[in-house]
Amino acid sequence: MTDSPSDVADAPIADDTPAGGVDLSGFAAELSDAIGGSSWTADFDTVKVTVPADRWVEAITKARDSGLVFFSWLSAVDWAAEVAVGEGVDDAETVEERYEVLCRLSNVTDASAATIATNIPKDDAALDSLVPVFGGAEWHEREAAEMFGIDFRGHPNLVKIYLPDGFEGHPLRKDYPLLSREVKPWPGTVDVEGMPDTGPSTENPEAGE
Amino acid sequence: MTTVDPNLAMHLSETAVSVELETPDMTLNIGPQHPSTHGVLRLVARVDGERIESVDPVVGYMHRGYEKLSEVRTYAQIIALVNRIDWVSGFANEIPFVVGVEKLMGLEVPERAQYVRLILTEMARISSHLVFMSSFPLELGASTPLMHALRERERVLELIESVTGGRFHPNFNRIGGVKPAAGGGPTQKKVAQDIPKGFLAQTQEAMDRVLVICDDLDRLVTGNELIKARTVGVGVIPADKAIEFGVSGPNLRASGVEFDLRKAEAILPYDGIDFDIPTGTNGDSYDRYIMRNEEIRQAARIIKQAIDKMPSGPLQAKVPRIIKVPKGEVYVRAENPKGEMGYHIVSEGGRIPYRVKIRSASFSNLSILPWLLEGELLPDLVATLGSLDFVLGDLDR
Repeated sequence: MTDSPSDVADAPIADDTPAGGVDLSGFAAELSDAIGGSSWTADFDTVKVTVPADRWVEAITKARDSGLVFFSWLSAVDWAAEVAVGEGVDDAETVEERYEVLCRLSNVTDASAATIATNIPKDDAALDSLVPVFGGAEWHEREAAEMFGIDFRGHPNLVKIYLPDGFEGHPLRKDYPLLSREVKPWPGTVDVEGMPDTGPSTENPEAGE
Repeated sequence: MTTVDPNLAMHLSETAVSVELETPDMTLNIGPQHPSTHGVLRLVARVDGERIESVDPVVGYMHRGYEKLSEVRTYAQIIALVNRIDWVSGFANEIPFVVGVEKLMGLEVPERAQYVRLILTEMARISSHLVFMSSFPLELGASTPLMHALRERERVLELIESVTGGRFHPNFNRIGGVKPAAGGGPTQKKVAQDIPKGFLAQTQEAMDRVLVICDDLDRLVTGNELIKARTVGVGVIPADKAIEFGVSGPNLRASGVEFDLRKAEAILPYDGIDFDIPTGTNGDSYDRYIMRNEEIRQAARIIKQAIDKMPSGPLQAKVPRIIKVPKGEVYVRAENPKGEMGYHIVSEGGRIPYRVKIRSASFSNLSILPWLLEGELLPDLVATLGSLDFVLGDLDR
């Protein structure tokens, strides 16, 4: 997110805390208090705690020990001012170039879940591996490594998982082109152009922009 | 000890067969083309005799790059992509994605559309589990259940096709509802459209037949001694390991964890519907089979109740002609037939998502394989692999 992260005091409170489960807003505030330099948000029922990269493993371990024991997934987002394909960010001038690594944890009794995130610089894309904390992180980190070129330090077997061994480049990076689009523009784009003579708009004023 | 034929014993003593066979380590390549790999999974196993020392799954033969492709398609176009992830339950794949987009847009989906989604999701679950019911015994050498299960699945698929137009890839969900009521501009027909007449009544009947097939499969497979000998105590996943590796769905419940996203975090109207979550005790291959058999019954029960409760009304909320999703990020997950399926959608306010992370169940369910198969016997590999019920499209995305 390029939105400035809300600080703990005025962060939105998730009021859908499941009874008997992990108190998510409390958990997020607590985790972000315990890990210095972190912040949290709870938009769209998705609790997200952003922690500094050097305390990544510590934060995940803490989250696990406070009840989020189920390893759901790990991946990343490439925040870039320029993109080779697709649409770029809303405000390309203020976006901070970085990889945002996301790890989703939940539990197996109720709806409690949180995304733990951290930002790593593009010129030093490395992060400590989560494999000692969650065995399930192994494949997910291999995927993130080949797709984004992130080095997970301490990973037991950081080889390619989907891509062939000799594959060059990191396909999910925003500067990686989609060759089929370079050769031929996608015909599907005409579908989303406004059709001529569409008459009065059917837009729902409640449906946002 | 079994009694040995005296003639044979004499023969053995004469030829002085060494009891300790030399079993040098060897590497056994299983797949990518192998009936038990459900597509193109390759396992490189290092075996000592019949004992597996280590297994290295090689995946990616089916990788189609859906996460990258999602970055160049509009939200409506992505729906056609995501139902190809787990192709035996195509409809169920669409649900978490459209619900995620609706959440970001703040759309209220009409109740009738939600019930149509629920019924079709459960039908996808039945058809997916019936595939398991046919393939799993087949891999263990029983071919009769396949005939029964696939015949019934065909009827379910025909019903799905009668509503959506597609057996495998329905592409039926729209942002804000389901297809029949889409449109509404002055150049399009204003005729109120609905699901086909007679669909609900036919589905009720089909569910009765599905319950009968479950009983038939019980008689054919569940109590079968050969099946039990091959599966009971084979490929045991303890609950704590399952949780650590992110194993979800029936595979998790077979290990005794009573967790179902339809109860814990329902994104479809499961609230007023009465159904049970079957759980296993041992976490072995046999329990994982039982889970699916029981889940078919529960799904039929859910569908019957949902048909009774089906409200009338529109099938589609009013949405802009050009769908732009406000800035934000959301993760929405649902209980797919294979387990937890979810989409992390990052929108930057445009017509195309900035990033879509697809969390598919089979990927995490199979990531436990190297741990699970270590030290097991080679003949148990097929039973263990089959019981995990994976689909390569769901694994490789």
